[in-house]
Amino acid sequence: MRRHDPVTHLAGVPGTGQSHTVDPITTEVVRHALNSAANQMKRALIRTAFSPIIYEVLDFAVAIYDAELRMLSQAPSLPIFMGTLNFAVREAVRNIGGPAALSDGDILMYNWPYGSGSHPQDMVIIAPVFFEGELIGYAVIKGHWLDIAAKDPYCTDTTDVFQEGTVFPGVRIYRKGKLNEDIHRMVVANSRVPQAVCGDLEAQVTGCRVGARSLIDVVRRFGLDVYRAAVERIFDHGETIIRSFFEKLPDGRYVGSGAMDNDGIGDAQIPFEIAVEIKGSDVVIDFSEVPDAQGGPVNSPLPSTIAASRVAISMLAGYGEAPHEGHFRPIKVITRPGSMFDPLPPAPCFLYGWPALQAIEVIYNAIADALPGGVPACSGGCICAVVLWGTREATGEAWADGAPHPAGQGAWASGDGGTMLHIAESATRFTPAEVWEARNPFVVSRLALAQDSGGAGRHRGGPGLDLFIRMTEDTFITTVFERSKTPGWGLEGGQTGRANNAVVVMPDGTEHTVPKITHFLVPKGGELRMHTGGGGGYGDPSERTVEDVRNDLADGYISADFAMKAYPHAV
Amino acid sequence: MATRIGVDIGGTFTDLVYFDERTGRTVEGKVPTQPSAPEEGVVDAIVRHVPKEVIEDAAYFLHGTTVGLNALLERRGAQVGLITTHGFRDVLEIRRGDRAEMYNLFWKQTVPLVPRRLRLEVGGRVRFDGSVMEDLDEATIEAAYAPLAEAKVDSIAVCLINAYANPAHEIAVEQALRRLGFAGGISLSHRISGEYREYERTSTTVIDAFVRGRMANYLRRLDAKLRALGFTGQSLITRSGSGSMTFLEAEERPVETIMSGPVGGAQGAGELARLLGEGTFVTADVGGTSFDTALIIDGEPRVLFEGMIDNMPIQTPWVDVRSIGSGGGSLAYVDAGKLMRVGPQSAGSVPGPACYGKGGTQPTVTDAAAFLGMLGRGELASGIHLDIGKAAGALAPVAAAIEQTVEQTAVGVMRIASSAMANAMREISFDQGLDPREMILLPFGGAGPLMATLLADELAIRNVVVPPLAGNFSAWGLLGADMVQSAARTKIVAFDTAAVGAIEAELARLFASIRGRSARPVGEQIASARLDLRYAGQEHWLSVVVPYDQGLAEPVEAIAARFRDEYARTFGNTLHDAIEVVSIRATLRVPLPRRRIEMPVPILSDGMTTQDTIDAYSFERNCRLPFSIIPRASISSDMSGPAIVTEGTCTSYVDADWKIGLGSIGELRLTRKD
Repeated sequence: MRRHDPVTHLAGVPGTGQSHTVDPITTEVVRHALNSAANQMKRALIRTAFSPIIYEVLDFAVAIYDAELRMLSQAPSLPIFMGTLNFAVREAVRNIGGPAALSDGDILMYNWPYGSGSHPQDMVIIAPVFFEGELIGYAVIKGHWLDIAAKDPYCTDTTDVFQEGTVFPGVRIYRKGKLNEDIHRMVVANSRVPQAVCGDLEAQVTGCRVGARSLIDVVRRFGLDVYRAAVERIFDHGETIIRSFFEKLPDGRYVGSGAMDNDGIGDAQIPFEIAVEIKGSDVVIDFSEVPDAQGGPVNSPLPSTIAASRVAISMLAGYGEAPHEGHFRPIKVITRPGSMFDPLPPAPCFLYGWPALQAIEVIYNAIADALPGGVPACSGGCICAVVLWGTREATGEAWADGAPHPAGQGAWASGDGGTMLHIAESATRFTPAEVWEARNPFVVSRLALAQDSGGAGRHRGGPGLDLFIRMTEDTFITTVFERSKTPGWGLEGGQTGRANNAVVVMPDGTEHTVPKITHFLVPKGGELRMHTGGGGGYGDPSERTVEDVRNDLADGYISADFAMKAYPHAV
Repeated sequence: MATRIGVDIGGTFTDLVYFDERTGRTVEGKVPTQPSAPEEGVVDAIVRHVPKEVIEDAAYFLHGTTVGLNALLERRGAQVGLITTHGFRDVLEIRRGDRAEMYNLFWKQTVPLVPRRLRLEVGGRVRFDGSVMEDLDEATIEAAYAPLAEAKVDSIAVCLINAYANPAHEIAVEQALRRLGFAGGISLSHRISGEYREYERTSTTVIDAFVRGRMANYLRRLDAKLRALGFTGQSLITRSGSGSMTFLEAEERPVETIMSGPVGGAQGAGELARLLGEGTFVTADVGGTSFDTALIIDGEPRVLFEGMIDNMPIQTPWVDVRSIGSGGGSLAYVDAGKLMRVGPQSAGSVPGPACYGKGGTQPTVTDAAAFLGMLGRGELASGIHLDIGKAAGALAPVAAAIEQTVEQTAVGVMRIASSAMANAMREISFDQGLDPREMILLPFGGAGPLMATLLADELAIRNVVVPPLAGNFSAWGLLGADMVQSAARTKIVAFDTAAVGAIEAELARLFASIRGRSARPVGEQIASARLDLRYAGQEHWLSVVVPYDQGLAEPVEAIAARFRDEYARTFGNTLHDAIEVVSIRATLRVPLPRRRIEMPVPILSDGMTTQDTIDAYSFERNCRLPFSIIPRASISSDMSGPAIVTEGTCTSYVDADWKIGLGSIGELRLTRKD
């Protein structure tokens, strides 16, 4: 196969550099209004969604773009989705004939992974927004659909994209406000759970319409010219914020390294390196040296790779503010088409999110060299997802459930790590044991912090979880636990935490290690033991205060043996 | 009617309102809050403002307080031990895994109220259906108790998995702890909450154990002081979920009062809406540091069944009041990207706004309003004189940094603050599928009426009602609080005719448990019930009121039909799937005697001139205009803005293009001209 040359992508549309024609106060008021518009979209979606994965797990992203596909605002939702939507809009609109082919009232559906940066289950719904006959932007929602006819309800072993679900390459689900029933029947026919999926589709459409209306309200309130001038100033402001962070860092090329456990099919580990080049206040994230696209689904399509870069940088340098296009401007991303971070069709990419998660950690790993103390050590590095399904013994009814899980977070210069969801899914919550038990045929036998699982250091990594589930009926599982072979690293002398892992103990006591597996049968009486990873430590363990070590011992976060080995000065 | 005294303790002021049955008058007063001894502030307010004979005559003392809340926020509570099911002691620390600040890589989870060493486990397991999978292991209770005894914990919280479905093991643990000699407070999760979700229930139970001692001491001290003043009536405290409860019950169930602060206002808004008998209201309670908003639909604030304090969930009825960090004391500053921001940091009561002359140097919303003339001459009725020069001085550096005049900057501060507040109101409305444009704005609190027409313009609201006693409205709201007791239990069961027996049995048990509490309010009790219903397989539920008269007084089909309608209204669509019950809720209400509502006797009304004007900024016209300064008590017929209406505890800013009218109970009605 021809080896492609690396390509440089701008993560944000550059500014015009023109002086501002609107005052800072109007700018701030417009910024509030745009954020509120995105929040209203989100609330409409949550209010009308059918599936818990939308309204409980918040597995969606909501954003508003202008006609040049610059992100105006987005509502707190799934960060890793947030940075992908401009690509989806561009491709979907191009496929139907470009902006000129759009009419007021059209709603598009799009889920081709190489343009959406997701697996086909993540459906992008797009409402073009017209103001006085002019196309002024797009209201967009990407939401996780429970099923759109992949080979299994959740897959870790696909070998091409066509096993991953039905593709809608930019089609009108509504034409000038009228439902396109042909497309709708295609949706119904291509899902194991058509009712839920149609409900969520309708909720996304409702949300996009609310977004479109809210954007029009904002434009009407301020007038198109003032609104546009304020948007330029908002973007310039966000850009200044990110640049003010990076200009303090020494120029240089910093390399971080990580590894995927395997590609989901074979067993070989996949090490990769990402370079972060800082020059003045510009940041270049270079994925060009990563391996070629893999035979299994651990490939991150370009939009997902750029989203990971956007998330990593805006979470680190954005002072906790809601990101918009301006925050992305200082970032450039280099990828090599045909590589695992820019795969070409029909490379499988069902697990696109996992390399993206690793990329975020590796980018921080690189920046650690530029800014010691400025980033946390590696977290457990995974969302440790499990999907469970089966048929109820008593009724023959099908059931399915699933969740991501917290892991230990990396320690940092000012404190120990906690235990929470990965930063890429930072608003997500996992399901309470009592809710799970009331709903499904299993018993949660343990939900605890794991002793000795956080990396030792001046500040210790957050502990990982032990979450055990004993099946009371035969159950199938799909698990996705990355970093089971490489524990999260420490920084500045801090030690690694424990690695993620999942083990099934069969009723006869035999054990199977199943960190990444599809459609695995756990018979009645068997137990799934999820061990989520610990965060890496920060700073030399010998610098941990005696008091902190004693407290960790008294609280049982560490054992006496661990203390003897890691902190001999304190025992 | 009955004479009653209401006292609401806020962060800055302790507000008092009393209603005197003999004269039919409502009187207000205000004293500074005494953070170190809040009950002294209450006594101070009463002694200063309430005549001895009114105190002696009063049937009720109604109280809103942040004592429990502050104990929680400041971590000044009991040392608590926690006993959980084997394998689950970390539930309190693991939480649900989310980050409260989702864009903050370094966000730290709240430190649990109970350290890990004081979280112990016992053997035994109940399943979701209440069946016992594994018997309680008595020996492990003794082992769990030993370290708690050694640490001399003040109280012990017990939260076992699935105790909502079968509390036998929790009760057995309590008995064992007593046998082992533990004399402190024991909080059992099924008594405190009774609902499923182990993290949320554990958090609630631990908070109960944490604040109970402090709350009880406070309530006892306060009650003794009230008695010493000659008060012989019943002492009541506001519940987070509206209504009030006796001090005695509050000692037993302190978590139900944690959020009593902002509830008074929402409750008062409900009462006012019922009196006026019209429309949907959206409240705007603007204080010094926070902005609270609530919706009043059909004369009631919306009640939720879970709240959150400092990232700790509490399973208890909870009036849906949304707060953002924006108020009169919110600071304006310039951020790293050279844009001006307002709040959430606040100047607080010390040093306060620069124009208060108490040493504040950073500009606040109050400084901007004072500079723009929105507060009139700056002679606040509460005795504070505003120093406009100091306000300008504080605004100047910010103005220089954003290259605007001081006037433009002050206008900007008001605009930015009001846009943040308007967004909160827009979103709470939107959650109910309602459009704020069709609502009536009800501003109150020290700075609510100041912001009223600005907020209305942001939201395109055409009608504003400034209530009587707007500045003390939360305390006024307390006076109408019926006594309410409630209990709930999660019971997941298909909702059909076959389930009616089980539902009624559970309701009977819940009512019996309420009546079994040691605090029994005197008066006629009205029983009501709610069922939390959902479509089978979904997680989202809706709480539906069901008529109750010793049993369900409505057939299952009728309740199901109402659920479907409510679902369509809330979620925009509805289904025809099977419905199941999630939780069952029982409430006993003892109504307080009705009271008459009318404008209060204004305090400090002397010396207010009637024919004064001031050049104040008009947001409608984008320039300064002469605004009439009008004492509220002098308004008797329709007038026209622009005007500044002054009264005892607040100032209403009425922009040009707004009309002022007087309503039937003395409320000011501001209407936008067409």
